[in-house]
Amino acid sequence: MEKKSQSLSPRDGRAKERVDRVDPYGFERSEDFDYDSYEELMSEYLAVLTRRAIKWSKLMKGKSKVQKNLKLKRYVRKGIPNEHRALIWMAASGAQDQLEKNPGYYRSLLGAQHDPKLVETICTDLNRTFPDNIQFRKTSSPCLQKALHNVLLAYGHHNPSVGYCQGMNFIAGYLLIITKDEEKSFWLMDALLGRILPDYYSPAMLGLKTDQEVLGELVKVKIPAVWQAMVEHNVTWTLVASRWFICLYIDVLPVETVLRIWDCLFYEGSKILFRVALTLIHHNQALIRQARSLPDVCQAFKQITHGPFVDECHTFMQKIFTEPGSLSRATLTKQRATCRSRIIAEES
Amino acid sequence: MSRKKALKGKGGSKSPKASPSSGRTGKGLAAAAAPSSGLVYPSRPSISNSGEFYDIAFKVMLVGDSGVGKTCLLVRFKDGAFLAGSFISTVGIDFRNKVMTIDAVKVKLQIWDTAGQERFRSVTHAYYRDAHALLLLYDVTNKGSYDNIRAWLTEIHEYAQQDVVVMLLGNKADSTHDRVVKREEGEKLAKEFGVPFMETSAKSGLNVELAFTAVAKELKHRTMKEPDEPKFQLQEYVDKEMRTVGCCRS
Repeated sequence: MEKKSQSLSPRDGRAKERVDRVDPYGFERSEDFDYDSYEELMSEYLAVLTRRAIKWSKLMKGKSKVQKNLKLKRYVRKGIPNEHRALIWMAASGAQDQLEKNPGYYRSLLGAQHDPKLVETICTDLNRTFPDNIQFRKTSSPCLQKALHNVLLAYGHHNPSVGYCQGMNFIAGYLLIITKDEEKSFWLMDALLGRILPDYYSPAMLGLKTDQEVLGELVKVKIPAVWQAMVEHNVTWTLVASRWFICLYIDVLPVETVLRIWDCLFYEGSKILFRVALTLIHHNQALIRQARSLPDVCQAFKQITHGPFVDECHTFMQKIFTEPGSLSRATLTKQRATCRSRIIAEES
Repeated sequence: MSRKKALKGKGGSKSPKASPSSGRTGKGLAAAAAPSSGLVYPSRPSISNSGEFYDIAFKVMLVGDSGVGKTCLLVRFKDGAFLAGSFISTVGIDFRNKVMTIDAVKVKLQIWDTAGQERFRSVTHAYYRDAHALLLLYDVTNKGSYDNIRAWLTEIHEYAQQDVVVMLLGNKADSTHDRVVKREEGEKLAKEFGVPFMETSAKSGLNVELAFTAVAKELKHRTMKEPDEPKFQLQEYVDKEMRTVGCCRS
């Protein structure tokens, strides 16, 4: 990362002694974690967080409910402070309404007879969900692994046509980390899979295949040189973007950046996923165009999800609303319909 | 704040490119390998994207049920490591390269790792078509994963090339206490379908190198065989080199 002249922290190479080995969400920092860059970045981001926290506490003062309006939308885009995150996600997505309308429903799902096949499929992934997060260790108390099992099981029974699909483990895991509450996580899953996202996780994965193609169409118009490169090297969008959509950028982008994206995802809907993808691609188009083969292109697409551009989440979130240019709901709806029929025709 | 991951093959896209397939030959994902013969045979050595030189390249795919250990097997082969409890479920499709030396020839294997869950197959089966070899895994501690092998083979026959090299691997062979599929059952199934078989353990390393070496040898012989050279006998080679659990023959 470039050294910033106005950095508040001394870049003395001793950041490793000052920064925790585990991040605020319970993730252990990797061996090659750059403590110096992190400290420098945080010294600036903390100022942003403090400023936002003051604004939010004024906004939220004396309120237990929030109304969606332009001001709130603007606030959400600038980041929801962690203390309000669960509440705003619940309110903005309609999850809170569902929870209130269906008291005891979550518990009843857990109490009912379980499909053994579903249980087995979920259990296969429990140890493979965030093994690097201390809250998911069997020894941790409370252990989020048990909560993860419950939320996935309840959701699988609530929506049997989806059941369980890999990727949902990571999403439920993030929801638990933020809400620290199984029932809220369950209703947020319901909001995401039932209303906010297209059918990414159903057995046919038609929504996923569609959105991958839609991304291709948008890139073709907005960043034609990259589209050319993809065609030239025979790279499908599945290869580079399926994880982006399925995991909603978890384990693709840094944790804090993912949470900032999710703030907007719950408030504004799935369009935000395209804004993120287009920004990553647009900002790094020179790198992608340098690629000379399919493996090179895939490598470039991995590389663009790392580094200062995505670490600096506050700037990144400003960029996603400017860098890709306009993206209207109507365009997206139309593209989705076109791509969807094309895929259905090809598969039949 | 950011959870950085080791960026594998860093600088790959900055390294000088000597794409073996600059004269691209049409269909499919024929990037590292030309489609029909499966041969990439540049007049001078090429550089893989990790910067290593190689003579020929092949595409190998790991398939099998979710949780049988595909990613672990690949990481053991690629990095020689097995870190219990450090793996996350594979979502979608990904690949890693490894260059091996087979009879003085540098062979690059581009190894594709896929999500095992059934619904992902409709996303990944398009990639079987260009694979030169498929390593089909089951887990010796999971009967279901063994029972599904027939379905996997049907899928492979439907989507893969006719002459694709298929090898059946019974993974997690180190788990003596939890084993529910006998070695003989794996052998029987492999015999029925006429594919080579061995048991592996990504944890102990048992036969991992061998599985990839055998496949690489077979593919290399197919493409570089001298007219008077006898055909490479994959099964014989595997039988000779294979180690069994608890056996110290090397």
